[in-house]
Parts: sequence; structure tokens; C-alpha cells
Amino acid sequence: MSVEAMPVSARLVARRRSTELTLIVMAAAIVGVAYTLASLGANAEIPARLGPFLALLLLLIGIAHIAVRKLARGADSTLLPLTVLLHGLGYVMITRLDSELAGLQSIWSLVAIAAFVATLLFVQRAGDLARYKWTLFFVGVGLLILPMVPGLGVNVNGARIWVNLGPVNFQPGEFAKLALAVFFAAYLAERRELISASTWKVGPFRLPELQYVAPILVAWGFAVMVMVGERDLGSSLLFFTLFVVMMWVATERASYLVLGFVLFGLAAFVSSRLFDHVQTRVDIWLDPWADEYGKGFQIVQALYGLADGGLVGTGLGRGSPDKVPEAQNDFIFAAIGEELGMIGATAVLMAYLLLIGAGLRIALRTDRTFEKLLAVGLTTIVGMQAFIIIGGVIKVVPLTGITLPFVSYGGSSLLSNYILLALLLRLSDSGARRLGELPDDPTPRERWAAWRLRRRDHGLPQTDDATDAYADVREVVS
Amino acid sequence: MQDQAHANRLSVDPEPTGTTAATLRRCRTGRGLGAGRVMNRRIRQLAAVMIGLYVLLFAALNYWQVGRTEELATEPGNTRALIRQFDTPRGPIVTADGVVTAMSVQAMGDSDVKYDRIYPTGDLFAHITGYYTFGLGATQLEQSKSDVLTGDTFTQQVRAIENILGRNNDNSGSLHLTLRNDMQEVAKFLLGPREGSIVLMEIDTGAVISMWSYPSFDPNQVADPDYATAFDYLTGLQADERDPLLANAYQQRYMPGSTFKVLTTGAGLDADVITLDSYWEPVSEWVPPQTTDPIQNYGGTVCGGDLTEVFRRSCNIPFAQTAIDLGPDRFQEYIARWGVGETIPIDLPRAASSTIGDFTDIDQNLPLLAMRGFGQNEDQMVPIHMAMVAATVANDGAMMAPFVVDAELDHNGRVIDSTQPDVWKRPISRETADILSDLMVEVAVNGTASCCIGLDNGISVAAKTGTAQLNGPDEPERSHAWIIAFAPVDKPKYAVAVMLKGTDAEISAGTGGRLAGPIAKAMLDEMFKIDPPEPAAPASTTPETGSP
Repeated sequence: MSVEAMPVSARLVARRRSTELTLIVMAAAIVGVAYTLASLGANAEIPARLGPFLALLLLLIGIAHIAVRKLARGADSTLLPLTVLLHGLGYVMITRLDSELAGLQSIWSLVAIAAFVATLLFVQRAGDLARYKWTLFFVGVGLLILPMVPGLGVNVNGARIWVNLGPVNFQPGEFAKLALAVFFAAYLAERRELISASTWKVGPFRLPELQYVAPILVAWGFAVMVMVGERDLGSSLLFFTLFVVMMWVATERASYLVLGFVLFGLAAFVSSRLFDHVQTRVDIWLDPWADEYGKGFQIVQALYGLADGGLVGTGLGRGSPDKVPEAQNDFIFAAIGEELGMIGATAVLMAYLLLIGAGLRIALRTDRTFEKLLAVGLTTIVGMQAFIIIGGVIKVVPLTGITLPFVSYGGSSLLSNYILLALLLRLSDSGARRLGELPDDPTPRERWAAWRLRRRDHGLPQTDDATDAYADVREVVS
Repeated sequence: MQDQAHANRLSVDPEPTGTTAATLRRCRTGRGLGAGRVMNRRIRQLAAVMIGLYVLLFAALNYWQVGRTEELATEPGNTRALIRQFDTPRGPIVTADGVVTAMSVQAMGDSDVKYDRIYPTGDLFAHITGYYTFGLGATQLEQSKSDVLTGDTFTQQVRAIENILGRNNDNSGSLHLTLRNDMQEVAKFLLGPREGSIVLMEIDTGAVISMWSYPSFDPNQVADPDYATAFDYLTGLQADERDPLLANAYQQRYMPGSTFKVLTTGAGLDADVITLDSYWEPVSEWVPPQTTDPIQNYGGTVCGGDLTEVFRRSCNIPFAQTAIDLGPDRFQEYIARWGVGETIPIDLPRAASSTIGDFTDIDQNLPLLAMRGFGQNEDQMVPIHMAMVAATVANDGAMMAPFVVDAELDHNGRVIDSTQPDVWKRPISRETADILSDLMVEVAVNGTASCCIGLDNGISVAAKTGTAQLNGPDEPERSHAWIIAFAPVDKPKYAVAVMLKGTDAEISAGTGGRLAGPIAKAMLDEMFKIDPPEPAAPASTTPETGSP
């Protein structure tokens, strides 16, 4: 770090945080106004709980912002405001749809922000995660198959994606995707050269050694297992897309992309022939009106709602999004489109696109393969999950039941997505530090390791510059 | 030393590092990052793919939210617009005597909508208000005046602007009817379980005071919040061959029998085919041209005399001859002046029209014309039309357009629109009307209605009876019983038409005078209790100022 560059970088970093604060305040203002308007639209009165709501909103974003300031002050400034906007808009829609769920959702929001801070606190070096890749692999796979364990898994609306642990129900799949993204990133960062080297050719495709193709087959196996065992097409598609995209980015081989999607398409086709629920999904995608009051009811009602909203929407609180079953969950985008119109729905699309942009920018800026891949993976999760469910709601792709990140009701989803956000911020911060935009202070763990090192090896050269001394420590730690 | 360490951590980039700008540039290009450079290309491609996917979503949003909105809005399964209507308050429909006959109440329990529509008077005004349902549509005033009730008329929208500042966002309007709840109840009581209808209207305005048809239905059950219950009830009504959903009074038409002679006489007088002095030889039957089959009087009696006499006794043959004398063209022309063939111009949807049948090649079939002259064959009149005929005679030959909505009010009770009486037709001259009035007085005093129409308190009344024979020569007797009347004769206020459908032997055996007469009398008596006529001073004591 050159001394003369310091003031410039310090200003850059400081500006980044104040930009974030400004944007968060703007997002919070939008959410506050939306909350008030929704109540005015529905009941023609100022919401009774406006005070507590605003207090909670400011508390949560205050905690999140201060946590970023303290723990990841070099991180990207747009991620948190975009999340606040999406989360807040989702909360407003959930309140509007079911005030009882809104109470629960505010508790989940608190828990999610706590998890966000905890993640920033515990994961101080993104690279550290790579060392737990096999642990995370088994955790991820374990979580994935957990709902299939008799006595634990619960069938909800035909999908077996819930786990019942005494008082708490949660969707392990939401966490499995994070664990597996970290595993994929670490695994591919280690072996990308080997995997990308091709040794034999089949037709136009040049394929690597079979042993290096094995992971893709394993991932495919898991995707099929989830699709068949848990009837969860959405998660299945998401896992597989995540893996294939990461393989493709890591190896620069389009053949993986092609192979991946051919394999998945094959599995989907075969299972649509073998299993009714897959066939049903395809049928109602092609023509939901064929069974308008039965299986197609949800999507047809969602489309009616969107059409009714039109360009500018019915206005918050003034539509009938509750005609759509599960509007607060998978179909929350239909509720937004109905009441805020195409303009509001497009704003949500833009928010996701900006999130994706911010995520991929982090991947571009960082110099380490693992962090690059992890940033790609996490961004792909958010971007593809939003695409799959929004596309399902507006009949672009077959409908699969997954949540809209940050917007839908649900503790598991909110929690896992805030952890994901914290990881992205951590990656962004680490990248910025390595780019020299801010001093690369040692983390508490590194201080601890250095202290132990000094105790063990008194021959360590004593210098005045602490930063320099820790450079060696970091080599040891990572 | 510092630079060196930094460079080592970063990469094997030979380029001297140090400035942030340099590092940023290196990152953007991916240059010097080895593996990263290749991956960065993929990441940019990934970004492009993602943008492509979201553009696809945006395009689909356009398709659904802009391209197909109108098409989807008309889908039968799309109840959003309906819900919006049911979520806004809807004003009441109130009778002239202040009884609420349709209103919205807060929905109970977990309902899709905020308001339910109820009809406190049950079946009494079902054919007037119609029903307003969730999923089964709306009829009659609930349909035709829906914009007033929900506050969507232009006037109401303009007036609503002043409400924006206030806390009041209820913009619903209300309807005030000309019909009276008390008279409607009287009519319902009088008709009882007999199919038919009673219409009572104000002569000089055309305002309908009472209009009851049996069978009727309960709009509360059609508007049941439970769709299945409502659907079953409505299906049952539709399957009922008595057509309870249609008002006999203004949505059906029936053979008028002798009451039609008022129209024929009017035509004959106006066309100078007959006069008050015309005379018909008393006969029991007459063979019209082009046939050997004779026409008989009611009951085969011998009947004849001057116009007053044949009208009083309701002989058939003189009116058959009048129709023949008029000829097909003039008969059609003069009868059409009464509005026969046109939809009744009442302010209710789906009213019927009266008819005198098909006139194609009637030249070669004059017996049919003869029969139509006294209200048989293909003549069919809407009951309210016959009340209008009586009112026309009383009203110096001006036929008023009937109406049931007196005024449309906004939420604050201010009048948006009130119905102005309107002359629909002038079928007969004032002189002809006077003659017809005298003829009808004779019927009430000395003729076919004399048994039953005499009003309380000596209020003068004019009437014409009718017994429409539906059966052929050798079939069991089946006939509708009719009467039309108005009172008081000197200053006419109310006209009434009663029709009893010839469904059973008892009605079919009777005549219009004996069966329908007492009903018409009771209606007028009750009406004059509510609205007594100005005391008609005896003619002898009337100060004849200004007369020689």
C-alpha cells in the first residue's frame, strides 16, 4: 500500500458507505410510504401500527448498515439498499395480504438481520470458507435429503421440502443451496485446470477424464433425487443451474453447459412421463385455462390479477391479490404486479438485475478463483431463483414452487438469503481490501494466530510495521 | 518492501502496482490475472445471459399487463372487477313510501367481498329491482342503474371531488321508486296464489304505483353469498315453466279478449268508420267474408244495438265488423298508434311488446282480422300496456311513458336526475277519448263490470272487462280474465289493469268482470284511502261562475 494513495482510498471507502446510507434511507422511505398507502388503499385509514413498523424498519436497517460499516466497510454500496427495498416491499405486500403473517415475518426479519450480522462477524475472510468445503458438502447434501427422512419431512402442498423439528418448521433446501455453492466454488477453484483439460473427444465435444466429469454426474443425480423424492422442481432446477453455471465459468467450456442442460432436460422429460406432478406442471404451463378452476387456478388467477393491474396497477391495498392462493409465498410477484402495475413489477425486476450486476461485479473485481466462483454462485442463486419463480408466475417457464428471494414470506428463505447477502458483502469487502482500497487489517483470528506464532517462534523478526508482520501470518492461516 | 509483499499476494503480475487506479484498471480488463481473465469473460457472458432472461420476463410482463388486459378482463373466471364493485358500498333502492327494497350490508364471516346485497322486501319488488349477485350477474334496476348505485355516473364523479378532502369515500347513489310498498303488498294479497299481474299507475304522469306479478322470486336467494346455493336456486327458477324470473306485468304478453275493444273502438271512431250513433242489428252469430264459419258473441248470446249498448254488453260481432270495415291496412295503422308492436317504453330492461299478430296475406284471410278486432286470434297485449290504454282514455288521448324510477339521488341525498313525465303516443283524438271514457263508464255502471267495480265513497269509475278465450271450439274452456279501469272519471288519477292467467278451471269458467273486477276495485279503493280524490262536489251545488 503506497502511502500517497491512502487518502484517496479512504475517501473512496467513506463515500461508499455514505452512498449506501443515502440509498438505504431512500429505500426505507419508499417502503414506509408504501406501507401507509397500502393501509389507506385497503381501509382508508393510516395504519394503526405505523409507529412500531417504522421503528422496526429503522432499527433493522440501522443494525445492518452499522454492521457493514464496522465489519465490511469496503463492500459494495448497492447490495444492502436493494435488499432493503425488496425486503420492505415484500413485507408491505405480506402485511396487506395477511396481517397475522406480517407479525411473524417481522420476527423472521429480526432473526435474518441477526444472522446477517453474525455471518459478517464470523466469516471475516471469505477464503476461510474454502477450507470447510467437504464439511459444507456433507452439510449441504444432508440438508437436501433431510426432508426425505421419514418422521422429519413434512408434505406441504404436494412438495416434501419441509422439516419438522419440534416447534420449528424449516426448509433445509434454502440453506443447502448456500452450503453447496461454497462447496462447488472451493472444489472447482481447486480443480478447474484439471477439469477443463480435455483428453478425449465425442463428436464436437471435447470431454475431460471421466473422473473429473463425475462431479457433474453426482450433482445431476442429486437434482434428480430432489425432483423425484421431494417433488421440488424449483429447487432441483436451481441446484443444477447453479452447478452447471459454476462449472461453465470455472472451466470456460461451453460443453459443460450443453451437457448439463441436456442431462437435466432428459431427466425432466423422463420424469414428466413417469411422474404425474411433473406432467401436471408442464400441462398447466402450456395451457392453464384447460383446468382453470383446478390445477391451473393459481396461475390463472395470478394472470387475471396482473392483467387487472395493467400498466400502473390498482394501487396498494386496492386490488384482490388474495384471490391467488399462497399469494404471500411463491405468488407474491403477482400481488406486486397487480397492485403496483407493470411499473412496480418492472422496478422489482430492475432491483434483481441490479443485485445480479453488483454480485457479478464483485466476482469480476476479486482476484481469487474461489472468491470469484463463490460470488458467481451466490449471484446465480439469487438471480436464477427470482427468474424461475417470476417466470413461473407469468408463464414464461413451468411453475415451480420456490420463494422470491427477500420478498416472499418465510423464515428459512429470508434467513438464508440474508446470509447469502452477508457473504456477498464479505467477498466484496475482501476484494476491495486486496485492491488496496482500504487497509487490510488483520482479523481477530489472525491476531490470535500471530500471537500463538510469536509465542512458539521467538525468532520472528520484530518490526515496527504491524501490517507487514501479519502478512506472513496470513500466509500461514490461509 | 510493502509494494513487493502486496504484489506477491495479488498475483504474479510484473506490472508495478501501487496506485488504486492501476489496480482497478487491471481488474476490469482481467489482464494479468491468469485464470481470472478467462473467468471474467465467462462472468460477463453470464451477466449478458442474466440480462437476457430478465428482458424476457419484462417482455412477458408487457404481454400480460398491457397486451392482453382487455381480453383477460372479460374472462368469465375473472371476478376482479366484480370484487371491486362488491368492495365499494352500493346505495339502496327505496319505494315512494320510504321502504328500503334493496340495500348493501357489511358481509359476515370470511367473505370474498366487503358487502352483501339484501332485499328486505323479499319477492315483493323482485321484478323491479332485479338482483345483484356475485357471479350470477345482475338484472333490472340493479343492472341498468348500477352506475348510479355505485356512484359511477359523471355527475357523481364530479361531486365526489369535494369528498376527497373529507374522510368520506362513500360515493354510492340511491334510487327512489314511484312504486309504493303498501300498494304492492295490497296487490300481492289480492292476487294471491293465482298467476297473473296487477298494474296500478298514475294517469297524468305514467308513474307506476304498483306492479305485481305472480309468480315472483326471492332475490335474496339469488344473491346468496354462497355461490352453490344461489346457483341451485337460480337454476330452479330457470327450469320453472311458469317463468317466475319474468314479470307477467311487463315482460310477458297475453291475449287481451274484450279489453282490446277499446283499441278497436278508438280506431273506428278516429277513422270515422263508426260513430256514437252506429247501430248493429242484434244477432247471435255472423259469418265474416271468405268463410262459412260464423263468429259468435260470448256465450252465443244475441247481442246488438248502438255503440254504447254493444260496448256495454261487450258484443263481439260489432267489433269484428268494425275491423273488417277498417280493412287490414287501416286496422294495423290505427292499432299501431297505441304503440302495439313496440317495446313498452318503461325504464326497466327487457320489457316486452304487444302484438296483433302476422298480417301477411290477411286479405285472403279476413276472418282472422275480424277476430283480432275483438281481441282474439293472435292479439297479445302486455298487461301494463292495457293499464296504459285505460290511462290514455282517461288522459284525453295522451299515452304517457310508464316509469318506476322517480329520482336518482347522490350520496348526500341531492337529486342527480328525476324522471320527467313524457307523452309516448297520442293514439286517439281528445273527442274519441271522451267518447271511450263515457263508454267505459257505462260498462262500470250498467255493463259487464257493474257487478264488481263500484268504488267506495261513490267515487266514479270507468272500466272494460275482457275474457280471452284460449281454447278451440271443442276443447275444455280456458280463458284469461282481464279488467282495465280508471277513476275518478271527472278528474282521472289512477288507472289499473288486472290480468288473471287462465291456468285453472275456476279462472277459466269466470269472466273478467267477476274475477278481475273485485281486484281492480280493491286496488283503487286502497289507493284512494292513501290519496283521496278532491271531494267531487255535487254538480247542482257547483257555483257556475262565468257561465250564462
